Amino acid sequence: MLRRQPQHVLSGLVYAAALALSGAFASGASAQQPTPVAPPPRVVAPAPVVAPSPVDTGDAGDPWESTNRAIFGFNQQVDRAVLVPVANAYRTVLPSPVRDMIHDFLQNLNSPIIFANDVLQVQPGLAAETAGRAMINTTIGFGGLFDVAAKMGIPFHTNDLGITLATYGVDSGPYLMLPVLGPSNPRDLFGDVADSFGDPGNIVASDYHKLYASFARGLTSGIDERSRNIESLAEIERTSLDYYATIRSLARQRRAAQIRHQKEDVPNAAPLQGASALPAPVPAKNVAELPANGPAISYRMMSPQPAINSLADLQKSSMAPAAAPQR
Amino acid sequence: MTRRWFAILALICCAVTAAAPPRAAAQADPVAFINQLGVQAIQVLGPSVPAAPRVQRFRELLAGNFDLPAIGRFVLGRYWRVATPEQQQQFIGLLQEYLAQAYAGRLAQYAGEKFSALSAQPQGEETVVFSEITRNDGGKIRVEWHLVNNGGWKIVDAYVAGVSMAVTERDEFAAVIQQGGGQVQYLLDRLRQKVAG
Repeated sequence: MLRRQPQHVLSGLVYAAALALSGAFASGASAQQPTPVAPPPRVVAPAPVVAPSPVDTGDAGDPWESTNRAIFGFNQQVDRAVLVPVANAYRTVLPSPVRDMIHDFLQNLNSPIIFANDVLQVQPGLAAETAGRAMINTTIGFGGLFDVAAKMGIPFHTNDLGITLATYGVDSGPYLMLPVLGPSNPRDLFGDVADSFGDPGNIVASDYHKLYASFARGLTSGIDERSRNIESLAEIERTSLDYYATIRSLARQRRAAQIRHQKEDVPNAAPLQGASALPAPVPAKNVAELPANGPAISYRMMSPQPAINSLADLQKSSMAPAAAPQR
Repeated sequence: MTRRWFAILALICCAVTAAAPPRAAAQADPVAFINQLGVQAIQVLGPSVPAAPRVQRFRELLAGNFDLPAIGRFVLGRYWRVATPEQQQQFIGLLQEYLAQAYAGRLAQYAGEKFSALSAQPQGEETVVFSEITRNDGGKIRVEWHLVNNGGWKIVDAYVAGVSMAVTERDEFAAVIQQGGGQVQYLLDRLRQKVAG
């Protein structure tokens, strides 16, 4: 029993790593950032101003930004040197139907964890869908190789302990860029590790001393996910001004949408309206010294709007930058 | 007796109201508006269209169907208020060009796939149109369009799988402005550099 423990821990970590990797958006194709234009000198204010810190990261909800950016840079190197070539080879070697089978099979393997979290969130509808999908796909779908359930109208949904904790009101904590694995936060990292310990597949693999099975599964999940995002991530990187900031925003919004378990008939909170529900933003010190030019903005977005429930999540994640900086 | 007559009269009234033809259906119906736009966009993005004309046509779609001043105000966030009127004007122009270039590329992966607008729902002063893209592998991606009606429908935001275009750009631009020490001019310079290729 004692002998088995470290293995189990390791398999858990490996799987957590793979899970986070498959969390996609990880890293992009090339580290090329456009040469930034030199920041203009700050406007000289009549009154003495306390010089703002050179990197004002206080209001992006990313207190570890400089470390995160460094890790992100490293991830881009790994991505370019290893992940993208491997993902490309994967697509070249295996025909699309085979890759779909692998994808469906891996997705089906995740059913127990998804089901457990559906239950922990007291979502009987989702739990029934997950259980039904697992039963249909494992039998009629030849052990999960075919997603028959989706064709029958039971779509896949994801779930994990990070989402469960979020629905329990646990805050995500700061944005966290993990080496190789990509965007996360302390809550979701904890959730991924815990999920991997609870995963029946990993437990069985560990009990039979077949750690490589968990490892292979995690690795394949990562390759599968990366191979599906080669073009889209490359396009985002090519077209964005600040790739890191774009990925941060996308990762947070995507996570917020997962936490909302969005249903077809529930609109996303309109940010244009949601903005008015936020406390009045306090401009940064150096900005505040500028004379106010033009008339104060008055347009329909500023009128108070009824906020819908999901707004809270959106605000917590992606609206954070609009909040007053604590400096 | 009179009660029965009233009932019949009421029924006739209902029938007449229901039979009245909808006025200017294509203009008034946000679902039709989005459907038309989506079909156009997928043609614009089609793989047969080379990159330069694709961006040009995307530029036209943006100019004709999006409320760019409103999007610009939101995207610049708190920095809108400190920007000079000239900077605001420049920003909206640069934003349009930036979005045309960025989204012509980012959305190209959906080229040739099936787009259908499904339903509309009012939300505050906006109208949300739900639509979906059916991928070639059968998977579906939800796209939500947030519209305003100022004498014609204009888009103020689009959510693809729960991710807002406007929020993404606002977050990115805020990060850029911070790198430039809080100066809007820095963002304008970077944008100009970017759209110039």
